Amino acid sequence: MKSLVLVKYVPDSNSVFRISSDGNWVDESSLSFNVNEFDRYALEELLALKDAGIVEEVIALTVGPAAASSALRTCLATGADRAIHVKDEALTGADPLSLARVIHAAIKDEELSLILAGLQADDDNYTQVGGLVAGLLDWPCASAAMSLSADGDTLRVERELENNELQVVDLTLPAVVTVQTGINKPRYASLKGIMAAKKKPVATIGLSDIGLDAAEVGGDAAKLRTVRLSQPPKGKGAEILSGSADEIAAALVNRIRENTGVI
Amino acid sequence: MATTILILAEHDGSALKDISFELLGMADRVAEGANVKALLLGNGVDGLASELAARGASEVLYVEGSALAEYTSDGYRKAIEAVLSEESPHLFLIGNTPNGWDVAPLVSARLGVPLATGCSAVTLENGSALFHRKAFNGKFVHEVAVADARPLFATIEKGASAVFEGETSGTVRKIESPVQESDLRSRFVETKKGASSGLDLTQANVIVSGGRGVGDPEKFDVIRELAEALSGQVGASRAVTDAGWLPHEHQIGSSGVTVSPKLYVACGISGAIQHVVGMKGSGYIVAINKDADAPIFGIADVGVVGDLFEIVPALTKALKA
Repeated sequence: MKSLVLVKYVPDSNSVFRISSDGNWVDESSLSFNVNEFDRYALEELLALKDAGIVEEVIALTVGPAAASSALRTCLATGADRAIHVKDEALTGADPLSLARVIHAAIKDEELSLILAGLQADDDNYTQVGGLVAGLLDWPCASAAMSLSADGDTLRVERELENNELQVVDLTLPAVVTVQTGINKPRYASLKGIMAAKKKPVATIGLSDIGLDAAEVGGDAAKLRTVRLSQPPKGKGAEILSGSADEIAAALVNRIRENTGVI
Repeated sequence: MATTILILAEHDGSALKDISFELLGMADRVAEGANVKALLLGNGVDGLASELAARGASEVLYVEGSALAEYTSDGYRKAIEAVLSEESPHLFLIGNTPNGWDVAPLVSARLGVPLATGCSAVTLENGSALFHRKAFNGKFVHEVAVADARPLFATIEKGASAVFEGETSGTVRKIESPVQESDLRSRFVETKKGASSGLDLTQANVIVSGGRGVGDPEKFDVIRELAEALSGQVGASRAVTDAGWLPHEHQIGSSGVTVSPKLYVACGISGAIQHVVGMKGSGYIVAINKDADAPIFGIADVGVVGDLFEIVPALTKALKA
């Protein structure tokens, strides 16, 4: 079967973030970007299904600016067979539902059986694009997968719930699954993979190529808009202790004794 | 005309989950005089419908059918879509829970209305909404606005709102389920426990947790030694259990366990929202992190900006002295 992974090119989550001058987002100019961590697990899951002979082709797709092609190169070097890059300036500021419409239009002729995506993106934390694409395709969907196994046209998924519980669910393919971190151990690109990736095809397409209009799906048409990004209120805020390690330790022992009754 | 707000109740077949009452509490506060309705999907859960009618809902829309006995994204999506096409509430709220983030995007796509996820506050004004949420794993407050949508649609973070406290005498309206078992393309198999050694962090008086900042699994001994000195248990953030440094049962947060010990010591944990929702109810929170801007300091009682490998062993030593 043919499969596709949705990937997003996001700032490294260990970066030091500063709010941009317009107060709308972070200043991205000094940040290093990478493949969204959740998406690496999704890609690995498809590569493992390919290794097992269940999946024949793994396509990586991203929607993003020119620099996002680097995320696709990483996926190709890691083992994806080809890539689709949807790139259009009008998509800056597009909301999740619009992005899902773009993805839907870009893949509708691909005859896919399985689409995987990371559960959420490390930047906006929206946790919805995979499910939105499923809804637009009218395919079944399961989120936060911790295990996947295919048997004919049925995909068994273990969904992560709370309190160390899992819900086991069977999906009829074609289906969309979003993947939780920790589902597997993502492989890294080998030198051979990096060399091979240079010959793998990347299709770069814009809105007009997929029959969409910026007036419907572009940033200017977004129905969900970022108004402001701000530092969280300090709240009560912690009392910050200073001094040598031993002085701090002594102060902590006092605080714990006075406030908790556990020692 | 009164604002109509619909919330999705969550339950396990025998009891309603807390998020149901938190959503009723939020709905009650978000608009004065709002008509607050609860949507309940299930089979043979009339008692839960009555409970919702008594604890915050003016009307309970109870969609009953055998295909809704267990949560499935396909069944819930179809039932919600059918109800929303009849009801047309101004605002629709679902919990930002595993089942909430499973079904909400499907509903959003089917209805063509945008979805604001993981929100902690909602402000309504003239048919549009402003939602407060977090981005960058809790580092920033992210305000998003939605205009021109009906319903305005959001998932709400656990613990973001106090539960509805009053009493109501709402009505229950039973709706025949539009979902047949043979239609379901996502089918419930079972709910099972993940691997466990029997550890129960929810009962611990003291939890010492390590995060990504611990750096590697061998170094976790400093966390274990402090936990031992405090007669407590070892917890972890998701990064630690994902990396396999500790079994999944140690994970605290939205996808792990929710704990409320008397003392919580967070070491090398930045305080991503996914972790914080699982431990913010702790009695006294100590945070040790090298990043002075880490969000964990916003909720801690006392904090140390520094190297956990200096502070934690010193604290262990001081406790033993």
